[in-house]
Amino acid sequence: MIEAADDPVGSVRIRLEVNGSIRDLVTTPMRRLLDVLRQDLGLTGTKESCAVGVCGACSVLLDGELTSACLLPIALADGRSVTTIEGLTGPDGGLTALQEAFIREGGLQCGACTPGQIVAATALIRERPDPTEAEIRDWMAGNLCRCTGYSGIVRAIGSAATGSSAAPGIA
Amino acid sequence: MSDHDHGLGTPPTAAVLEALARPEWRDDGPDKVTGRTRFAADRTLPGTLWAAFLGSRVPHGRIRSIETSRARAIPGVRAILSGADIGGVRFGRRLLDRPVLAWDRVLFVGDRIAAVAADTPEAADAAVAAIEVDLEELEPLLDVEAALRDDAPILHPEADGYVYLAGTRPAVPHPNVQGRLLRRRGEDDLEAVFARAAHVFEHSFTTPAQHHGYIEPHATLVWIDDEGLVHVVTTNKAPFSLRNQMATSLGLQPPSIEVDAGAIGGDFGGKGYTIDEYPCYFLARATGRPVRAVTSYADELAAVNVRHAARMRLRTAVDAEGRLLAHEADLLFDGGAYASAKPLPHLALAGGVATLAAYRIPNVRIDARTIYTNSVPGGHMRSPGEVQALFAGESHLDAIARALGEDPLAFRLRNAVREGDVGATGEQFREARGVEVLEGVRAALDWDRPRRAGCGRGVAMSVRHVGAGVMKLALRLSADGRVDVLTGLADQGGGQSSVIRRVLAAAAAIDESRIRVVHRTTADAPVDPGIGGSRVTHIGSRAAEILGERLTDWVEERLPRALPDVPHGARLEGDALVDPATGTVLLTFEELARRLVPPDEPVQILAEFDAGTHSPDEPGDNDFAACGVEVSVDSETGTVTILDAVLVADVGTIINPVAHAGQLDGGFAFGVGAALMEGLVVEDGVVVGRSLGDVLFPAIRDVPRLRQVLLRTTVGPGAYGAKMAGELSNAPVAPAIANAVADAVGARLFDLPLTPERVLRAIRARAAGPAGERPR
Repeated sequence: MIEAADDPVGSVRIRLEVNGSIRDLVTTPMRRLLDVLRQDLGLTGTKESCAVGVCGACSVLLDGELTSACLLPIALADGRSVTTIEGLTGPDGGLTALQEAFIREGGLQCGACTPGQIVAATALIRERPDPTEAEIRDWMAGNLCRCTGYSGIVRAIGSAATGSSAAPGIA
Repeated sequence: MSDHDHGLGTPPTAAVLEALARPEWRDDGPDKVTGRTRFAADRTLPGTLWAAFLGSRVPHGRIRSIETSRARAIPGVRAILSGADIGGVRFGRRLLDRPVLAWDRVLFVGDRIAAVAADTPEAADAAVAAIEVDLEELEPLLDVEAALRDDAPILHPEADGYVYLAGTRPAVPHPNVQGRLLRRRGEDDLEAVFARAAHVFEHSFTTPAQHHGYIEPHATLVWIDDEGLVHVVTTNKAPFSLRNQMATSLGLQPPSIEVDAGAIGGDFGGKGYTIDEYPCYFLARATGRPVRAVTSYADELAAVNVRHAARMRLRTAVDAEGRLLAHEADLLFDGGAYASAKPLPHLALAGGVATLAAYRIPNVRIDARTIYTNSVPGGHMRSPGEVQALFAGESHLDAIARALGEDPLAFRLRNAVREGDVGATGEQFREARGVEVLEGVRAALDWDRPRRAGCGRGVAMSVRHVGAGVMKLALRLSADGRVDVLTGLADQGGGQSSVIRRVLAAAAAIDESRIRVVHRTTADAPVDPGIGGSRVTHIGSRAAEILGERLTDWVEERLPRALPDVPHGARLEGDALVDPATGTVLLTFEELARRLVPPDEPVQILAEFDAGTHSPDEPGDNDFAACGVEVSVDSETGTVTILDAVLVADVGTIINPVAHAGQLDGGFAFGVGAALMEGLVVEDGVVVGRSLGDVLFPAIRDVPRLRQVLLRTTVGPGAYGAKMAGELSNAPVAPAIANAVADAVGARLFDLPLTPERVLRAIRARAAGPAGERPR
């Protein structure tokens, strides 16, 4: 992070790796990572809701760690790697097993919390490939969902990990 | 069809039931799980300005002056407007009583005084902070009962001049009453019935204001093009209604406004009402630039529309055999400063009379009023009015049963409506399934098994009418076999496009995968009433079924001339044209489309389904539901833990099995939140704790698994006997939990939410009086 003479007053130069690409920016240091992602880089999959770090809608991975992008001044992301929902794709460029499970098991309805849920659950599965229900509920405690009552989310994460389905068809 | 259709959906064949039983694959899913879905706040245009608003800091005041020169000097500020700049403009869904920007008086904390457009959100916020307002503070009216006194200050002295959309505003008994629903049945002299009854019980209850808690705050993007057309991207779930409301308020013709409401990030009633489109229009006009507003959660909680707080007094007479004789209820809903968020003609809450709707009671008087106060405006939130009234009604009933020494479930069973009965509010039921849902809870919870110490079981029953209205859909069949369905229906997550695809596929016997539901704006979609009132599955499925029939008719009519070689009677089956005599496939659907449809001009087919509005003189389609829970209560902390929860629900044919289960689970989570933690704290007219860090909503660890027991019927008004799910499960949850707490600790709570502090207070007050008495 450096201040350059010909840049606007108070701005700094920031270098980030976003979803595998290097991005160089000139911006003010206290802008939120969330605003840089959404406004400057057009990555609108990361959502803003509570803006105080409790709802999880803006979840991203910062050097692989689950982070709320609404709380992070861009200066603190300098030189680091950010993965947003746009950076999570399956091996063939399609859906990941987790994304597919969210659709199949009813882990989403309106979709506003969904990118954050997927990012958080991706981090969980990387850490713990076959989580128990208690571990899922523990890890996902920072991602609010107002539509599903969470049952579908628990099922989706559990079934993505095990590869089995428990979707509520009608017997 | 032009006549209203109050009839039932076509009974499903075995093949249709089998197709609908397969879990659906949501077509909106892939874009939602990858972040590609564009919500209103994700849309932008070059040169878009950011809006910010100055809200009143006092609940009641008179504006003396507004000074904006300091704010205008802030770099990047492009426009600042006050109420005086735009003239006295009011808006609303039915009654236009809310100013876009206040010009003389402010009526609640958050009432908008000025609007700013600036290059960045930071500059807009800085400008808002720099606006100076000189206000004369007036005495606030904060209590619904005080508002009804003869000498109460009148908050809307100019109400006679307000625009009321579509008709004449019903008369109100007091100028501070927004609207009223009065239900009367049986003997005129209710007091005489009470006087001769063996038992009379009276209790009062309160429920707080609540926020919907959708993850996507309100957002809008407004611009005016070179031809003067106004373009509105919005989170409003009823785009055609918004267009018409805006046209009325702004003095424009509806066709000169295009409203685009595509993906909506959670609704729960709160997205039927949006407020930023109006000031953004004036800012766009003043600057010539697109203007965007995204509501902060602080404003969401305090300044848009919330569930009405309620104060409810219930009195019920019971005969010597334990039968309900008479019921009187007086429900006061805090409507806040404006009635502008309420869509229904009576400006009251339809569910506000649902205290004991599923029971037979010969003599009834229920008076449900919405009241003006200097508080945040009330609006619709999932099962509006019913959540409040049912908490009161089902707690009241439970307290009565316990006072009579009866099992609360047995007491309900005796008094529940049977086939041919009329409910307390006069509702006739096509199928009365109260007894079945109650028996379902008894079986699922093993109700009569002894309770463990500190644990209790509770039950509550609800009944809700399936929503109705008009739905229009347009089908476009292309020569390549693609079937597009054009709709103005927004997607708030209910799975409506899967409903349309699956029913159309079943009705036309074509493959679901070739059907695409295409969202269109008000400029070129068929007129649509919007999402709400649990109506979309009913009317959307019927419209899709009609589309399927019309597509089939269209194909069969053309066959003799266009394809004379095809055997007589050939029909669509299994996504192909089939010879019914031999069962052989004559043409694939693609081949058929190629031969019937001109390559450069898709065929358009329209369908309209009009269910009208339900008349009380005929049996209506309802869903009965009973929630049963078992809880444990920690007698040292007052913490309530849900050990087991079951919902027994009367459901029609299910079109989307995954989404249906999700609606019931989601409604249950709403009920758990209402029961245990949700509620805005409003002190002296100020919403305290204006952030999601201060206001609780259930997180994943707060919502236990719900066991769903579905009582099937194919007697429903939707296609193949579909009914509804969106507002089926949430209302009975909080009273069931409150009743379980009373069962566990022998003390009743009369106020939601059941916070540990309140539970502990109730446990400690138990010594002072018998359970069932409200501690004072």
